Amino acid sequence: MNILLTGCSRGVGLEICRVLLEQGHTIYGVARSCPQEFKDLQAQYPERLHYKSVDLSDSEHVKDNIFRDFCSNRVQIDGFVNNAAVAYDDIITNVNIDRLKAMYDVNVFAPIMMTKNVLRNMLLHHTKGSIVHISSISVHTGYKGLAMYASSKGALEAFSKDTAREWGSLGIRSNVVVPGFMPTAMSSTLSEEQRAKIYARTSLKKATSIRSVAETVAFLLSDKADSITGQNIHVDNGTI
Amino acid sequence: MEQTILTIINSIRIAQELTPVTELHTTDNLREDLELTSFDLAELTVRIEDKYGIDIFEDGLVNTIGEIYNKLQQ
Ligand SMILES: NC(=O)c1ccc[n+]([C@@H]2O[C@H](COP(=O)([O-])OP(=O)(O)OC[C@H]3O[C@@H](n4cnc5c(N)ncnc54)[C@H](OP(=O)(O)O)[C@@H]3O)[C@@H](O)[C@H]2O)c1
Repeated sequence: MNILLTGCSRGVGLEICRVLLEQGHTIYGVARSCPQEFKDLQAQYPERLHYKSVDLSDSEHVKDNIFRDFCSNRVQIDGFVNNAAVAYDDIITNVNIDRLKAMYDVNVFAPIMMTKNVLRNMLLHHTKGSIVHISSISVHTGYKGLAMYASSKGALEAFSKDTAREWGSLGIRSNVVVPGFMPTAMSSTLSEEQRAKIYARTSLKKATSIRSVAETVAFLLSDKADSITGQNIHVDNGTI
Repeated sequence: MEQTILTIINSIRIAQELTPVTELHTTDNLREDLELTSFDLAELTVRIEDKYGIDIFEDGLVNTIGEIYNKLQQ
C-alpha cells in the first residue's frame, strides 16, 4: 500500500513509519525536520520511505507543497494518516488568537485540505482507501490547560465521522485513533507529578504505548478493518 | 479537448450503468441532461484536472458542458 503520513519525523509518526515499513508498505512522509532517527530508517528502506520537508502551518499551500510533485496523482494513495499536530497549552483566560489560529492551521485546516486532495486521488484511481486521524484523550476526559488543543482534536473527530458518511458508498473509510498520554516531545514539558496524576486516571496506571498506537493505525489502514468506519478507537490504557 | 470530455463523461456514465452518449452539446446540463450525481461530478473534476491541470469547480459551480469548455479555453 502507498501511505501518506504527516508528522513522520519523530514520536508516534516515526513509530507508524516503522510498523508500516516492516509490513512492506511504501510511505510518503511529511514533517518540517528530518532528525537522525528518521534518516536511519530512510537508510534502511531507501526505496519505500519517501520524505519531503513541509510546514503544515501553511495550510493554504498544502496542494502545491504535497500533491503537486511529491505525492501526485501518479501515486495511487491507499491510506492517509493525519498525525502531525501541535499542542497549545494554556488556561482559557490567557488564550491568544494568533496562537490559536496557528494551532488550527496545523491541527485542523491542513488536515482538511489534505483530506480533500487525498479523496480526489482516491476518486481518480477508484481506490477504496482508508483515512486515519490521530486525536487525543483530552477530547473525552478534561485536562486543565488543554481546552484549545482538545477543541482542535474534537473538530477532527467530527470531520472524520462525516467523511465516513459522505464517502462510504465509494468504499472509502475514515477513523480516528484516540491515544492517551505518551512520553514524546509533545508531552515533554509535563513534570513527574503531572505525569503521575495523568497515569493514575488510567486503568492500566501507566503511559500509553506508542507502539500500540502505531499498530492500531496500521490495523485501521489494512483490509482487516474492512468493516470499520466512522469510529474513534481509544488506545489510552483505559482512561476513566 | 471536446472528444476527451466526451470520453470521460461516458466512462462515468458506463460505471453508473447509464448508456454512453454519442455527442455533447454546449447547452447540456451536467445533472439534468447527463444525469451526473455530485459524486460523478467530483470524479469528472478530478479527471479533467488530472488531464488539463485545471480545477473546473474551484471558483463556483459549473452547470453545463459549455461552461466546462469555457473554463478549459481560458
Ligand atoms: N504525546 C502525547 O501524549 C499525545 C497524546 C494524545 C495524542 N497525541 C497526538 O499524537 C500525535 C503525534 O504526537 P507526538 O506525541 O508524536 O508529538 P511530537 O513528538 O511532537 O511529533 C509531532 C510530529 O508532528 C510534526 N509537526 C508538528 N508541527 C508541524 C508542522 N507545522 N508541519 C509539519 N509537521 C509538523 C513534527 O515534525 P517536525 O517538528 O519535524 O515538523 C512531528 O513529526 C499528534 O496528533 C498528537 O496530538 C499525543
